[in-house]
Amino acid sequence: MPSAASVGPWMRIRGLTKSFAGELALDHADLDIERGKVHGLVGANGAGKSTLIRCLAGVTVADEGSVTIAGEDLQKGSPRASEQAGLAFIHQELNLIPHFNALQNILLGAPKVTRFGMIDWRRSGVAARAAAERVGIRFPLETKVSELSVAQRWLVMISKALVRDASMIAMDEPTASLSGPESEQLFAIIRDLSTQGVAILYVSHRLEEVLQLCDRITVLRDGRIVDAAERGALNKKGLVRAIIGHDMRPPDERDRFATDRSQQPIFSVRDIAWKSAVKGVSFDLYQGEVLALGGLVGAGRTELAHLMAGVTRPDAGHFELDGKRLDIANEAQAVRAGIALVPEERRSQGVMLQQSVAFNINISTLKKLRAIPGLPFVSDKKARRQAEGLVARLGIKTPSVEAKIGGLSGGNQQKALIGRWLNAGTKLLILDEPSRGVDVGAREEIHDAIRALARSGVGILAISSDVEELTLLADRVLVMREGRITGELTGADITEARIIELSYHDSNDEEGDIA
Amino acid sequence: MMAQAGTAAKDAASLRKSSWKRTALIWLSRYGTIVGLLLMVVFFSANAPGIFLSRANFLNILSQASLTAIIASGLTYTLVVGEFDLSIGYVASFVGLIVTGLMAYQGFPIWLSIVCALLLGAAIGAFNGVLVTKVRINAVISTLGVGTMLTGIGFTYSSFPIATGIPRAFTDIALGRLVFGLPNPVIIMVIVLIALWVILNKTDIGQKMQAVGGNLEAARLSGIRVDRIKIFSFATAGFCAALTGTLLSSLLGSGTLAAADGYLLDAFAAVFLGSATLREGEFHISGTLIGVLILAVGFNGLSIFGAPTHFQPIFKGGILVLAVGMSALARRYAASA
Repeated sequence: MPSAASVGPWMRIRGLTKSFAGELALDHADLDIERGKVHGLVGANGAGKSTLIRCLAGVTVADEGSVTIAGEDLQKGSPRASEQAGLAFIHQELNLIPHFNALQNILLGAPKVTRFGMIDWRRSGVAARAAAERVGIRFPLETKVSELSVAQRWLVMISKALVRDASMIAMDEPTASLSGPESEQLFAIIRDLSTQGVAILYVSHRLEEVLQLCDRITVLRDGRIVDAAERGALNKKGLVRAIIGHDMRPPDERDRFATDRSQQPIFSVRDIAWKSAVKGVSFDLYQGEVLALGGLVGAGRTELAHLMAGVTRPDAGHFELDGKRLDIANEAQAVRAGIALVPEERRSQGVMLQQSVAFNINISTLKKLRAIPGLPFVSDKKARRQAEGLVARLGIKTPSVEAKIGGLSGGNQQKALIGRWLNAGTKLLILDEPSRGVDVGAREEIHDAIRALARSGVGILAISSDVEELTLLADRVLVMREGRITGELTGADITEARIIELSYHDSNDEEGDIA
Repeated sequence: MMAQAGTAAKDAASLRKSSWKRTALIWLSRYGTIVGLLLMVVFFSANAPGIFLSRANFLNILSQASLTAIIASGLTYTLVVGEFDLSIGYVASFVGLIVTGLMAYQGFPIWLSIVCALLLGAAIGAFNGVLVTKVRINAVISTLGVGTMLTGIGFTYSSFPIATGIPRAFTDIALGRLVFGLPNPVIIMVIVLIALWVILNKTDIGQKMQAVGGNLEAARLSGIRVDRIKIFSFATAGFCAALTGTLLSSLLGSGTLAAADGYLLDAFAAVFLGSATLREGEFHISGTLIGVLILAVGFNGLSIFGAPTHFQPIFKGGILVLAVGMSALARRYAASA
């Protein structure tokens, strides 16, 4: 129906629905996207933003619903069809080939001019160079991508989209690893593209950015679109309310544990450095407190956690556990010393999806579950009893401990992963993004469990990019920026504003522009 | 508008059809192998009742299956931890040659020759494991490389079959019937399968193997020494290959170069058939046994009906492709369901 195309919006998403393992990730989402506008897409982790984008990209097949572009139905589950419809996607990981140069990456998969069957890079490069000029690339396109900064890689990705004549470019957390001035330059490019008629789908957790940049903002919560407003109709408070579903609660100060620094720390980090990600970090962790590590993605927090848990070895510095110097060569040694990590990526690093809840809980304590001590046989009875005990203690909702963990919600999987360490003699539990992809209710239960563990004497280090979570959970917050600890907050000082202030670059930073 | 309503109805219909298809496919991928095995038994019994349906023939099938089952269940261990072993056939051939050589040339007693042979197999397996985990060579390359080397080393050791100087008692091992009138290899198979099943399902190390295969990173973060677990799995595969090689030499009464090479494909076919049994896309011992039985019953039936021997590779290759295809489909549907 061509007439509909000229009247309605350029892209029309209707009733898009997708569930994973019985959980609705996207629930009848309706969204219109116009060319020449910047569309902001916000929502908590797990709200359905990435599922929506993956459906558009054809990487995920929606269960129901349709996407119409300029009046034509977009074929489901075909990345090729999505590309041909003019959709381009730039993910945080920036899918570039590091040892190809910028030009090769821009032209990857695009038709090239050939001579005698060989690629004529000079002539093929004409379009690429024009695109590079549009986004203001000033470095030579012959530079290898591995030698480019993150900001420059973003420009390469945008050029790549432009060479393909993209009508819409979706960007996922573009500023996550950009400095202030770099972000500003990216915004200028986005505005520029938008005036040239390109639709931008801008996904970000940075609400100020979204409010400043986007013409229209759509809020997702639990897979549903809960709010959509034009620029100016929303402020930050309203946006936060839409994202979390209620007003932000001021954290209850009575709950904050006052750290007793006169006693010996459970765990000490001394001048730890690793590559360019961690630059000489020192701190102490005391009994009873929930110590949290805040900062932006890329600040070096996960790298620090990996060093503490033996995943990687520090280039310099050392750790002390209960006042004794500790050398950790690998994960197994860390676990035996009593240091455990609940990782950031639950699915790829945490759960064994095909296995049962009991299997997942018991895997780190198999020795304690032997039928006869000294013989390597696992007692089914002891295993079930331990798993059932932890399921009850943590309030894990599962049909039985024998059910496959893959069928549980993210929050319950996360609780099981915490449960894995409760009977393992853990002295220090590091939780990287403990409530990522977890709904609000489960988040509170997870926080309660973490707090109870801390009070019972287990050292707790929680890492979170979610500023609200830090204010709710932490008794003491350390903020990291670019591999260093830039500040410490305790008691009433733990506020979102203070954390954000310490997380970001100062405006008078030394960084120049990106190109 | 009407056009849209039409497509919506068509979409809903295709969705219904595809979910019906999905259920059927998952069912097929779980029970298809068992149903296939039963159908084969029923078909052969009905069409050749006198020959197929006899105690002697069943024992024949079982003893044929036993050597494959032993080597295939060892292979299952490497696949459980997410690795691969292409050397098992060559290990079986090599060890089969060495075990006879130890008796014929070195004059070792039978028991010592066998112990040495099995330890040698386990050591080769462990070496594979070290190459894969510590040196970090891709398992396909390292096991293929080691296996190829073994062929050459075997030839260096003895360029012709070792048939003389082998004690009669050694050949009696595979030919004898010590328990319930069952051929000894069948008894040995039962013992090996039970032992491997118990280790995989009832012990620490088995749980750790499953954890490593299920999610390597998660296993590592759980404090499991992943490298050791993998090396153990490779050593077990080597041990089982050596056992199959030894039994084959006993059965043949000689140590022959390349005698057991063909077990590689049989073992893979069996294990992948097994992975499509009961549990979608997972490797397990009972599945492997069913895979082995399918191959053995199939070969047996083909020969009873007088099919030319070159039909055997067609059947074997076809069933391998079918099994891997089913396994892959099952995994995909299990993931998307």
